[in-house]
Amino acid sequence: MKKSKVKVRICLGTACFVQGGADLLLYNDFVDPAILADCEIEGCSCLDECKVGNGSAPYVSINDKIYSGVNQDMFCKLLAEAVKNA
Amino acid sequence: MNNIFIDIDYAQIFKHGQKIGGDVYLLSKSPEENHIVSTLSDGLGSGVKANVLASLTAHMAHRLSFSPIDLSHSAQIIMDTLPVCKERKISYSTFTIADIRYADDLEKIDVNLVEYDNPPALRFRGAEPVSWERSKTELQREGAFKKEVISHSMFELEIGDRLVTFSDGVTQSGLGKGLPLGWRLDGVRKFIAEEIEKDPDISSRELSRAIVQKAYSLDGLASKDDITCSVIYVRRPRRLLIVTGPPFLKESDEIMGQKIREFDGKKIVSGGTTAQIVSRVFGAKLTLDLSCWSKDVPPASKMEGIDLVTEGMLTLSKVATILEKRINPADLPNDPAKKFVEMLLDSDQVHFLVGTKINEAHQDPNIPVEIGIRRTIIGRLRKALEDIYLKETSQEYL
Repeated sequence: MKKSKVKVRICLGTACFVQGGADLLLYNDFVDPAILADCEIEGCSCLDECKVGNGSAPYVSINDKIYSGVNQDMFCKLLAEAVKNA
Repeated sequence: MNNIFIDIDYAQIFKHGQKIGGDVYLLSKSPEENHIVSTLSDGLGSGVKANVLASLTAHMAHRLSFSPIDLSHSAQIIMDTLPVCKERKISYSTFTIADIRYADDLEKIDVNLVEYDNPPALRFRGAEPVSWERSKTELQREGAFKKEVISHSMFELEIGDRLVTFSDGVTQSGLGKGLPLGWRLDGVRKFIAEEIEKDPDISSRELSRAIVQKAYSLDGLASKDDITCSVIYVRRPRRLLIVTGPPFLKESDEIMGQKIREFDGKKIVSGGTTAQIVSRVFGAKLTLDLSCWSKDVPPASKMEGIDLVTEGMLTLSKVATILEKRINPADLPNDPAKKFVEMLLDSDQVHFLVGTKINEAHQDPNIPVEIGIRRTIIGRLRKALEDIYLKETSQEYL
């Protein structure tokens, strides 16, 4: 059976974009293509997490679970894990 | 804001090898008096001498048009002041003055046209050439070998009308090369009609450039004379609405949606949260377009019914900087700020609908770049648009 793709949403609201969201957008350059093939990545204008006040920007949602303060390394690990568990 | 817009622009190519032109074009707008004067003057010869004479004429014509003296009398004063060439016994410079006055709502635009020795101006309604009556006044000046004829006419311009004036560099282009007698008035008229036929909304800037380029190519890319052309075009204004910031009260979201729906023109929504509100009110899906962004400007989104959806403060401040530095959009990276600037420059009237709710996420002191205050940035944008690009702007808060 074909695995369903991992749904990834990167928050690109102003605050997230300037605090690292822009780096995550370069995912083609630093994430393993094999992993990317199993992911469906899209941007979104705001995940509304900044208004709740827990954690720090940038926020990423992977299969509807929110992660905060995501940097490039962490992004790679999170994706790899999500793909493995899918 | 007015429902009619007068679009005026001109294009010019100097005689081959000259760094300065003998054709001088002047345009003055006096919005307080609802008055525009467009003057084209061609000095005898080319280069510096011709430029001095043409400048002298154009400036006199201009000054006199803004004075209470009537235009025929002004023309006479100019003629009497202009020296007559000793050898050729003809006057030193020619002129075409279009004196445009309009009512406050621009519903009635009166043109007072005075022409002396330039090729006759052309009028078009849509792509149809229009002919009209001119009254002629003859003047005999001392030392001149013939009587001078000044023609004078008055008419109204309506929506879709164009008035095209040009120097003899246009009508005489191609003389002795491809065309035995040059392009001639009929040729120019036909060309303009075809250009308008091809693109009925062609701007004054594009049309004047097309005419000048055509004349230049007829001259074999080495112009025989200064080539100048100006176009006055009366049309409906191109409007642009910029929505930025969520309304202060949640109840106002619907009002904002209503205003966007009712707006007649192009629409930009700038701001992530704002876009989400609009998307909710419109019931339209918002998708981010990850193909178009840069290091300074987050990606744009797509939404039906809105021409451009961008992030808010970073994009707006980038756009303000681009406008203030007068950067040509063609030199910009392909990001939403470029599209934003292009849309601004393509509009005549820009209306800002500004939500006043504060975004808490922007108040975080850890944010590495300065995120300004929305109101300040809108102020910068409006100032640049009005002062540098001569656009009309307006603004309302929600």
